Amino acid sequence: MAGGAGRGGAGADGTGVQMAGGRPAGSAIEMEGAMRTLPSSGRPSGTGRLSRGPLFGRNYGLSPGSRLLPPRCQEDADPQKTAFLLRKQWTLYSVSPLYKFSSADLKDYARMLGVFIAAEKQKGLAVDVDGELGVRVAMSGLPELRGSEQDPAAVLVQLSLRSSLSPKNSEEKLIWSGWFCCVAGDDLLENLPENFTCLPLFLVNGAESYTAIVGSWFQKTFDCCFRRLAISPLNLTWMAAMWTGCKVDKNTAAMELLFSVPHLPQPLDISYAIHPEDVKALWDTVQKTPGEITQEEVDVFMECLYSHFHRHFKIHLSATKLVKVSTGIASAHCDGIIKFLQSQYLIGVLMLLTELAISQIQ
Amino acid sequence: MDEVAVEYIRRTVLKIPRDEIMAVLQKWGFLSEAQLQTINFRQTKESISHSVAQLCEESSAGIKQAALLDIIYNHIYPNKRVWSVYHMNKTGKASFFSFSTQVTINFREYEDNAIWIRIAWGTPYTKPNQYKTSYVVYHSQTPYVFISASTLRSNLPLLCQAMVVASNYHNIREMELRSHCLNSLKDIVFKRYSQNFQTNYPLQERNVLTENEDLRINDENRSEKERIHRLNQECFGDGPQPKLDFAQYKLETMFKSDPKWDVLEKKEPFRCLVKFSSPHLLESLKSLAPAGLADAPLSPLLTCIPQKARNYFKIREKSSLHPGSFVSP
Repeated sequence: MAGGAGRGGAGADGTGVQMAGGRPAGSAIEMEGAMRTLPSSGRPSGTGRLSRGPLFGRNYGLSPGSRLLPPRCQEDADPQKTAFLLRKQWTLYSVSPLYKFSSADLKDYARMLGVFIAAEKQKGLAVDVDGELGVRVAMSGLPELRGSEQDPAAVLVQLSLRSSLSPKNSEEKLIWSGWFCCVAGDDLLENLPENFTCLPLFLVNGAESYTAIVGSWFQKTFDCCFRRLAISPLNLTWMAAMWTGCKVDKNTAAMELLFSVPHLPQPLDISYAIHPEDVKALWDTVQKTPGEITQEEVDVFMECLYSHFHRHFKIHLSATKLVKVSTGIASAHCDGIIKFLQSQYLIGVLMLLTELAISQIQ
Repeated sequence: MDEVAVEYIRRTVLKIPRDEIMAVLQKWGFLSEAQLQTINFRQTKESISHSVAQLCEESSAGIKQAALLDIIYNHIYPNKRVWSVYHMNKTGKASFFSFSTQVTINFREYEDNAIWIRIAWGTPYTKPNQYKTSYVVYHSQTPYVFISASTLRSNLPLLCQAMVVASNYHNIREMELRSHCLNSLKDIVFKRYSQNFQTNYPLQERNVLTENEDLRINDENRSEKERIHRLNQECFGDGPQPKLDFAQYKLETMFKSDPKWDVLEKKEPFRCLVKFSSPHLLESLKSLAPAGLADAPLSPLLTCIPQKARNYFKIREKSSLHPGSFVSP
């Protein structure tokens, strides 16, 4: 696919873009310019231990292999604005920095994306149930979803189906949502060359077919690359520990760990749920240093849970695969699927996810 | 013409795998062999179902025939439903009840002394809804009843009472045993599976390890593997295991840990809920120790499932004599 770095219209190749894993062949990213000027830490990309040196640039003097406790927002800027994010399943992607993206041009981008989607539909590529009137695209900024003023504001993209019943826009059905955000992305932001915008985390709720089209447009227009963000069992244990420690006012759900043993003659799933007060009491005795969590503390916490389980069932949970963690504040699945349950910890969870996304990009 | 009955029959036919539709319809016996020959079974299932519906319309099929087809379908494919086991006894006084809701009830008796009862539920004010059904399987020589309530669990007490009176017992209680596989539930309560037992005959000569017998490969821990295999045999027995989907444990035991960690030392229980799920739970658990994921022998909490005939457990700490063991009320 020809085309230089910069904005482009609909591609002529007519192929759908693969979003899952790896870069699509022949995309603009392979062209000169854009990606090569990005800083590279020289490390292999992909998920790995989070406690690598440079990523903890904001350690503020913490010991290696540790991170700050997630902040709790006492005063919600506007809980209404972010309420729509809660209790929905979001699929995660990492996004490399966008070239020549401007938050002032969102209306233009929305219009162009709308044209692109209509063109894809004509080619017979889009899922189109009943929208003769087509899909309406809305793009808006979410300034409250960021860690500090240095982070770019989050960008929300929403696709709605125009109803043929009412010509006015009042009866539009929201069919797809995706938002880019960056919470405390200092490491990537520091070395970012001019003309690049860093919004490394992308969250999607809606049909995969629309995700592919929207992603394809962004990739062609801003020379970025989307990759599914998987969450390793190690990172899941971090989430289990961090989120267990969060103070919650109301009655909250149990802390549940889901393990999978797929390679037996008959596969086995094990759900291990602990009463939130009891598991928090355990974590509070494990976590010794105020304000920070260390890898060692996470390990001890998990060992305690594993050994309590082993005492009863004689099964070594540590030898199985941890696939999902659910707590009262959020749940995370290893395929890179997240659900936010409490608005006061939204920023904290996003900060952790941003870190994972950045780690995958570099 | 009973449109409701014909449509119900059509939808039941749609549930059957295409290659088996003919056999099921023959078992049903409502349509003649001549009529069945007119159906083209190479069409799509949707078309086949319409052909059958057409024939049923011509033959004036009613609710009774529709209900019978549904019983036959559920008897052949019982694993599409979840079954709970109930136990009846004669202690206590017999109680009276009044059936104040409209229902459709159909029976069919099978060779193994099993009576299949189908109930379609209505309300005191509306006719029975054929799509809201419960099934009861009762073996007349035993005090056990297998119930698949599906929708409208509120009707369950009514159903239980009816069973008790109809079968001349006094009381019925739900056992903590539930699964999709009806035959396995029967195996468990009727003790028809091979139980574990201590034997003194020598260990079998057959190779319990992999099929590939390359003599250049020396198995370093052959004796350990054999030990695990033997212990597994003792726990689970030799034959196929009954098929269960899950086991659930509510733990209310104390948290104990290695003192070097210097963690929680609470006096109250560490409350957990553990659920094991698998297409074939007992076979899955049996394979854990050989796979190196569990110690052998496996915990009695897991191996006792068939003997105790339950897959819901509440575990509390056994207080004085045996601090390491657990009690399940």
